[in-house]
Amino acid sequence: MPMPSKTKKYAAWAALAFVLAIQFIRPERTNPPVDPAATFEAVAKPDPQLAAIVRRACRDCHSHDTKWPWYSLIAPVSWLVADDVEQGRAHLNFSRWNLLSPEMSKLRMKEACREVRSKGMPPWQYRLMHPEARIGDEDVATFCDAVDRMP
Amino acid sequence: MRKHTRTLFVFAVLALCAGSGCARKEPAPQPAAAVDPAALELFGILPEVMESKTNPVTEEKVALGRMLYYEKRLSKSQQISCNSCHMLDNYGVDGQPTSEGHMGKLGDRNSPTVYNAAGHFVQFWDGRAESVEEQAKGPVTNPVEMAMPAETVVIAVLKSMPEYVDAFKKAFPEESEPVTFDNMAKAIGAFERKLVTPSRWDRFLQGDQAALTDEEKAGFNEYISAGCQTCHAGTYVGGNLFQKLGLVKPWPDTSDTGRERVTKSGADRMVFKVPSLRNIDKTAPYYHNGKVATLEEAVSTMAEYQLGRVLTNKQVRAIVAWLRSLTGEIPAAYIQEPRLPKSTAKTPKPDVSE
Repeated sequence: MPMPSKTKKYAAWAALAFVLAIQFIRPERTNPPVDPAATFEAVAKPDPQLAAIVRRACRDCHSHDTKWPWYSLIAPVSWLVADDVEQGRAHLNFSRWNLLSPEMSKLRMKEACREVRSKGMPPWQYRLMHPEARIGDEDVATFCDAVDRMP
Repeated sequence: MRKHTRTLFVFAVLALCAGSGCARKEPAPQPAAAVDPAALELFGILPEVMESKTNPVTEEKVALGRMLYYEKRLSKSQQISCNSCHMLDNYGVDGQPTSEGHMGKLGDRNSPTVYNAAGHFVQFWDGRAESVEEQAKGPVTNPVEMAMPAETVVIAVLKSMPEYVDAFKKAFPEESEPVTFDNMAKAIGAFERKLVTPSRWDRFLQGDQAALTDEEKAGFNEYISAGCQTCHAGTYVGGNLFQKLGLVKPWPDTSDTGRERVTKSGADRMVFKVPSLRNIDKTAPYYHNGKVATLEEAVSTMAEYQLGRVLTNKQVRAIVAWLRSLTGEIPAAYIQEPRLPKSTAKTPKPDVSE
């Protein structure tokens, strides 16, 4: 039996009200300052090809240099994006590489290689919106080989 | 109308995903007895000696360092030695939240274990010393620890005993004036560089599958699944990076802001040296202020504040089971307290003034 048009109207208004209401729950979108001497490039002095892959595929969630897209202003997507960035920075932060010993620097990159090789990173929903972040098989090999050669 | 319904539907699904976290892929723990070899690559076996480029370990330095480690006359009251807070027959700790120094004064941070410490990338909870040699100098002149009024007083004490002067000459043969504060620290450092505690975990890493029980292997899988190895990995299962305490969820107690006190940089607020988990089962209480009494609480608090995860009791118990396998063997013969040189008429007397 088709929905009566009044119910349809209420449902539509309720949905709209809901969507508007959740816009007021704004997650943090901050880019803490970057000390150039503290970055992955400055501290680990990585292979340039590795650094290039990191820059194009990892930076948004794993550094303080996040480029926040227009849809990160709109809930509920904004919550997902902010959460990804928060978690990303917590697990691996290319802007705070000065916190790591040389041993840990290599171990973090070894884990990154594991994630990239298993296609777990970058996450599918990020790759959907950022095609330039895709890491193909050749790039995976370049990435992991460069990590192996880290001191 | 249908297009809008679909868009709303997609947003609804995404919103649900945000709630359940399904957007993040989490690996399922492996069955017991099967440990991911790739995860093992993130760890390492203890060396026999934690070498230093600037302070080569020699027999003579070790012999002198061992005496100095137990030497209470390096303190103002002559009641406190390195061993008082870093007890070699107690896994290198005193089991106190913070230690009692001169006339019972308390420090503000938990005394870390001396075992395996020489292999860490820095020393102290705030990383202010680069090496164990640097670290050894700190407590001797710290007013709430050994409280010696000046380095010159320390040297006077040591020089008053001919046996010490001899030992310094043997340990530093190239030097015309070997009895120095620096050399005292170097000797203690050299002694500490052989304080290693190989464990069943090391044997497992070397290929001995029987070195860990199934429960411990399952615990390791749980550890990796939770993400603990993000910071507690490597040869020392920690001890090799700084990290913010309250990484994901803000830490409630900000009375000690850690490394910020050293670097004066806001970026280092609440940043501390990540401790090594070797012997962790024996080195309670936990965290920089020693305020957490049990390993179970330490593990679940870490997961909550550092990883943003709530672990079940079962998961916590499993992880703790694996952490127990990091308890190593104490080198009993090596740490035997030696006979210490006798005081002479020139040796300063104990001073129990504040």
